[in-house]
Amino acid sequence: MSFFDIFKKKKSKDVARDRLMMMLAYERANTRIDSFEDMKKDLISVIRKYLNVKDVHIKSNSNQEIETLEVEIILEK
Amino acid sequence: MAQIITITSGKGGVGKSTTTANIATALAKLGKKVIAVDFDIGLRNLDMILGLENRIVYDVVDVMEGNCNLAQAVIKDKRTQNLHFLPASQTKDKNVLNKEKVEKFIEELKKDFDYILIDSPAGIESGFEHSIYLADRALVVTTPEISSVRDADRVIGIIDAKSKKAKEGEEVKKHIIINRIKPELVEKGEMLSIEDVLHILALPLIGVVPDDEDIVKSTNLGEPIALNEKSLVGEAFRRIANRITGKEAEFLDLKSKKGFFGKIKGLFK
Repeated sequence: MSFFDIFKKKKSKDVARDRLMMMLAYERANTRIDSFEDMKKDLISVIRKYLNVKDVHIKSNSNQEIETLEVEIILEK
Repeated sequence: MAQIITITSGKGGVGKSTTTANIATALAKLGKKVIAVDFDIGLRNLDMILGLENRIVYDVVDVMEGNCNLAQAVIKDKRTQNLHFLPASQTKDKNVLNKEKVEKFIEELKKDFDYILIDSPAGIESGFEHSIYLADRALVVTTPEISSVRDADRVIGIIDAKSKKAKEGEEVKKHIIINRIKPELVEKGEMLSIEDVLHILALPLIGVVPDDEDIVKSTNLGEPIALNEKSLVGEAFRRIANRITGKEAEFLDLKSKKGFFGKIKGLFK
């Protein structure tokens, strides 16, 4: 890196890296589970036995070490 | 026990066949009995990189279909002892392959060779699935470019789903090969670095191959660069082969070729 680069904008590789990470976070979430919708229906039917469910939101997250699913259960008021 | 290694990438044109040819050559040079099999049915390529295109009589599909026996189809490299090659079919449709045929074929190869290297076609369709189905390990080749890394990630995500080994609860070893890295660009921050690529793909590295004009020359001549003792790229492939056999080999120290004065100049650029 040359001295004057410090005052320059972000390097192109940093932009590439950020764009990739964003894209892959999205793509990985979508390839891992083929049918989020089916799982959602099943979850709702199970939880309905005990609670009044309005909706279920599922979000997938991943980083290097772990992958998580966030399941948010929205109840009827 | 024979080891089946599939070289794959997702994206085309990142250097899969060149990588296959060179790792096969380097493994043979280590005294291992190696066969490189081109699974890119319909788009034969590995033959020219190995310089064996004039010796083809039968191809991989001929063997699987029983048009000839294995010994008739296998081409023995005269230049490199222990190196063998089976070409892809040029004329047949890629849909002729099926799991049963592939399995029977690979089982037969396993009796004769230490390492079976499968050059997978680009893409994630049936050709890829057949080439990864019986793999003990997968080498995922990527260049430090976004489209290549993205496709590599896709492939990594489906290897286990398509692998017999993974279905039986065993592990398919997966490693990254970073191809065509340009140290000058990385130093300038204009190319993804090794660390960037590994951080994104989250798999261990097995080799880094610098971008080098010698590769073009060696492809022109049909002489794998792994045979060139003086070449840095050849050395990169030789080290990958060593790591495959379980030996430790340091990673190449890839710095831009600029000397001391170049660096001073770079400071004021």
